[in-house]
Amino acid sequence: MTAALEAAECEAAKGRRLTEVTMFTINPFAALTDLLPLLAMQVYIVLMMLAVVGGTLFDVVHKGSARFFARRREQSAAAALRQLSGGETASIAVGVIAEAAVSGEFSKWPRRLSHLLMMYGFFTYLITTVAMVFCYPAGTPTPTILPTLWTAGGLMVLAGGLWFFFFLRVNVAYDGASPFHLGRADLFIGSVLVSIAFALVWHYMQATIGNTISTRIVFGIYIFFTTLLFVSVPWSKFAHMFFKPAVRFQRRVEGANGSSDLPSPSTENFIIRS
Amino acid sequence: MPTYTDMTKCDGCGDCVDICPSDIMHIDPVYRRSYNIEPNFCWECYSCVKACPHQAIDVRGYADFAPLGHKVRVLREPEKGVISWKIRYRDGRLKEFAFPIRTTPWGSIKAAQDYEKPDLSALGSQLLAHEPTALHVSALPTIKKA
Repeated sequence: MTAALEAAECEAAKGRRLTEVTMFTINPFAALTDLLPLLAMQVYIVLMMLAVVGGTLFDVVHKGSARFFARRREQSAAAALRQLSGGETASIAVGVIAEAAVSGEFSKWPRRLSHLLMMYGFFTYLITTVAMVFCYPAGTPTPTILPTLWTAGGLMVLAGGLWFFFFLRVNVAYDGASPFHLGRADLFIGSVLVSIAFALVWHYMQATIGNTISTRIVFGIYIFFTTLLFVSVPWSKFAHMFFKPAVRFQRRVEGANGSSDLPSPSTENFIIRS
Repeated sequence: MPTYTDMTKCDGCGDCVDICPSDIMHIDPVYRRSYNIEPNFCWECYSCVKACPHQAIDVRGYADFAPLGHKVRVLREPEKGVISWKIRYRDGRLKEFAFPIRTTPWGSIKAAQDYEKPDLSALGSQLLAHEPTALHVSALPTIKKA
């Protein structure tokens, strides 16, 4: 009888603890194993990675990007005034990575800040998703930092993305288009925002009301838009994260080997008054 | 010679859309990069070429009087107050020109509303509003009477 009471008290305490747990501390994917086997989640993530690789390769072939870069390299090599050493090329590559890490290609600070929020938020969200699904399945205690980072990453993407979507998108800010006007250029940002927004809503519902029907519907919408994000690579600008640094590297090489078609920088400073 | 945007260089900042007096620089709905929607209507003022912070806008002549093969590139260096042009002719010749555009730092010119409102009694003065201080001189030259 005493043992039964203790067990009941233990269950009640567990329930209280569960309700006290916030969405920042629980692994959303561990609780999902009631609905989906762990293997299915892992296979889904691998399939999405393959979709990004396949989509990018398709994009390269379909748009002729590889041909464009090869021709550009040939022209650059033919017009080069000097050959770059391996060290110089490596130094340029490091410079390109450093520039990409701080979104240095943006000349205006609001766009740069918004992009930094989205970029680091997205990477944090992706890495913690993979870590939670592959390293901490149900039954394995998840370090609190992972779900916290997952949620924080999602919120960063939403903060930077919504700012960009409603105020900084160039067709909205300069071309006079409505913020609610959607085109193909919005496929990437739109699917990222909706996917992550529903991920956070699903996580919140899971932490508060558990795996109910409504939670599962929200989860379904989250998975639909996540799938759209990764399988739409050939039609969206997802692959810009690979192309942009490649173009930047090529331009820097052209600047260094003397084949750039830009004018030489002025040797004289004409700013003589304050 | 009208302008066109190299989409691999454009980051879609919108400066060219903002500055184009013909309103023909627009944003591509698929790639969200700028493009010249109607080269025939280009005034060839090259405001967009000079405004682009990424040197993404080039100049391309009509094929009938400036056959393809040439290049006109611009480098804007606001921190030095200069815009340089590089012309590559079809026969391979290259010419470079550097044009000083200002002597004060970029963004340092005060707008009219940033100045103190002039006194109405100054209407009778020969000087324009905020002369001579706004011209960075102590006094304007005067004609000496014989």
